[in-house]
Amino acid sequence: MDRGLRVRALGIGLWIASASVLMHGQDDARLGARRYMEYCAGCHGTDARGGAKGPSLTSSAAVNRSDSELSATVRNGSRGGMPPFAQIGDANIQALIHFLRLLQGAGSANTPHQPPGDAGAGRALYFGKAQCSACHMMNGQGGFIARSLTHFARNRTPDAIRAVILNPDNPLIPSTQVVAVTTRAGEKLTGVLRNEDAFSLDLQTEDGRYHMLSRSDLMHIEYSGHSLMPRDYGTRLTPTELNDIVSFLMAAGKNEPSSEERDR
Amino acid sequence: MTCTAAAASRIATSWPSIARGVALVLGLLCATSARGQLPKPAPASAKPDDAIGIVDVRQRDLLQQPVAANWPSYNGDYTGARYSALSQVTPANTARLTAQWVFHPHTVSPLEVTPVVVAGVMFVTSANDAYALDAATGKVLWQHTRAVSQGLIDDPAQHHNRGVAVLGARVYMETDNAHLLCLDARSGNLIWDVAYATGNRNYGATSAPLAVKDKVIVGVAGGDDGVRGFVAAYDAETGAEKWRFWTIPGPGEKGNESWPGDLYLHGGGATWMPGTYDPDLNTLYWGTGNPAPDYDGSVRPGDDLYTSSLLALDPDTGRLKWYFQFSPHDLYDYDGVQTPVLINTRFKGRPRKLIVTANRNGFLYILDRTNGQFLFAKQFAQQLNWAKGIDENGRPIGANLIPDESGVRVCPANGGATNWYSPSYNSATHMFYFRSFEDCAVFRAKPTAFEPGAGYYATGARISDEPGKAWINAFDLDELDFAWRDPQIGPHKGWGGVMSTATGLVAYGDDAENFVILDGRTGKPLWHFHVGQLIHASPMSYAIRGRQYFAVAAGSDVFAFTLP
Repeated sequence: MDRGLRVRALGIGLWIASASVLMHGQDDARLGARRYMEYCAGCHGTDARGGAKGPSLTSSAAVNRSDSELSATVRNGSRGGMPPFAQIGDANIQALIHFLRLLQGAGSANTPHQPPGDAGAGRALYFGKAQCSACHMMNGQGGFIARSLTHFARNRTPDAIRAVILNPDNPLIPSTQVVAVTTRAGEKLTGVLRNEDAFSLDLQTEDGRYHMLSRSDLMHIEYSGHSLMPRDYGTRLTPTELNDIVSFLMAAGKNEPSSEERDR
Repeated sequence: MTCTAAAASRIATSWPSIARGVALVLGLLCATSARGQLPKPAPASAKPDDAIGIVDVRQRDLLQQPVAANWPSYNGDYTGARYSALSQVTPANTARLTAQWVFHPHTVSPLEVTPVVVAGVMFVTSANDAYALDAATGKVLWQHTRAVSQGLIDDPAQHHNRGVAVLGARVYMETDNAHLLCLDARSGNLIWDVAYATGNRNYGATSAPLAVKDKVIVGVAGGDDGVRGFVAAYDAETGAEKWRFWTIPGPGEKGNESWPGDLYLHGGGATWMPGTYDPDLNTLYWGTGNPAPDYDGSVRPGDDLYTSSLLALDPDTGRLKWYFQFSPHDLYDYDGVQTPVLINTRFKGRPRKLIVTANRNGFLYILDRTNGQFLFAKQFAQQLNWAKGIDENGRPIGANLIPDESGVRVCPANGGATNWYSPSYNSATHMFYFRSFEDCAVFRAKPTAFEPGAGYYATGARISDEPGKAWINAFDLDELDFAWRDPQIGPHKGWGGVMSTATGLVAYGDDAENFVILDGRTGKPLWHFHVGQLIHASPMSYAIRGRQYFAVAAGSDVFAFTLP
């Protein structure tokens, strides 16, 4: 595992983006993520949904602007007070726009997708046989060890949702990896690696406890290369059941408007 | 059962498994029993390591006074004293303090948050984002992001947020547009989201909520913009509203005579700072902001209840037990939201349950908190001309300075002689510490109608050109006078609150971008660290595995300091 390549602690927005990296170049996305955090996040927020000084870049207006229009704004700045960034060079601008597109959502924001199955049956599976809710919340109901899926389906095609269920570790989101550590005192812990660097790591066990560990106190670290997500949904669920779950994710997400859509 | 961290977490990761359930139950049992062993006011080292990393705030954690390793709510404990029992850092070793880590949340500046720390996990907010940090390293455990709201005005449009409340394994925060969010403390997942101020688009929120028993109490901002203030309580489990106390009385209610027609809907009295709570008296103490319109009082005759006041509320029902109005018919933006600190001590030879608070109007007040009786006032603003004094009932003797179109010079200025930056009461030194500011402004008034999307100041206040002067003050509760007043030196107007510790240390941000610790007995500075950004927040202290830390938000960063 190359720790240097881990894009750490950039948060949920980046997790979502990381999942989408599947369909794009990972290296491009990494460069774009770095450049975005360096030049854009300070004003527009780490998730591009707006900060104190810059507006949201995930609005439909921003999503509908072409790459060349966005490049021009990055190069020249805006009348609204955004400084020009021509000096960082076209390659970096291209990379950060590529990353911004990931933050805006992998699919087309404006194309409604037809659910491929029965959302009601999917709900029963989500909270029942498929055991999704053991780890994932949906609208506040469910477990905590994995992320909430309330907004997961937004801006995703049914195929993209299905792909993540069938191949959950492709790519593996760094802060979801299961690792096993042995301390110098002989204690063994297995949990999810929420973050790490050359000096310390934070491991969360499934009881919710964070173990704040100093690397110097560890004798051994074993990286599983996997998240907690089962990798056998392709055989445990029928194609119909999968479609039902995909439909439930799509329907449930719609019940929960994004904060931008909320009525103040 | 052996409740080591390992026992609670020696879990199988096979999927899905009974082991998961066993580990969860074991974890909860261990967390519970570890907490059961907690000694009361404790040195840093007394916190068992077993409790580290599991966030599960119980009533006894919130009721602990004073706080030690944990700092579980905005002011530490319910008294608002911002006093820590931690004693590892002393006047003798303070000079060795060193920066441990910096956290940069990216979204807003300046931060106004006070970090909350539970079991080694630090919770901070920045605009509408919430973060859980490893409090020993500053590294992110989770973050919950939420876009800032568009279309806000005035204070909420700055997206300032002062932090979280924690109860059980849940974290609560207010958003800039006055939603109460309930997040899972272990993951940051959103559990529910309640829009609690609707019907007037000028509402917003900047405060930290306060968890009391099974409820989460919130307030609103927007008092300069014609909102109708309220304090509201929500069921911590479900988010259902349990009660709401309007700070501006409606038709037929006592005090409504100040609000002709529908003016009560726009009378201000915002509730933009967390209150304090006395579990023995079962009373919540909550300050209210200025009336609106701010400067044109002609449209709101009388005292303008319950603005610029302190409310004593029943936390179960929201019923008003008593109130005390600091600035009746305020014309100068003198909010009364400064922390009402609960102090049990001898007052003039008799043990009493007091509230001590330094008010924006330039006077320090001492009240009997069992009934709201006025006991004492002391002028601390040296330049003060809006009142000639305080009478025996605690009512100001006005100087009849009424803003008009040509303007009238009034001291203190509209920013107040003190403000929301926190005071601290130190039971070891028996002193009440707070920041104050000296300046004046020319106040003008012009009749203006309320308008959605616009401020409701009814014209403005211009700060005088003469330079202002800030002080850190130590008010001795035995002598009922100042023990010392430390003039602040620096190019900026500081907005740093104070906190203090059992070893008599007082920590605060000064006017020159320094985080300072001084000796609370003498006012002598012992140590400082140049954070390079103005501190617009109040500091706190916590401990992990026997190490005491100080933390403060400065500019766009959170800093943590500890002994090497």
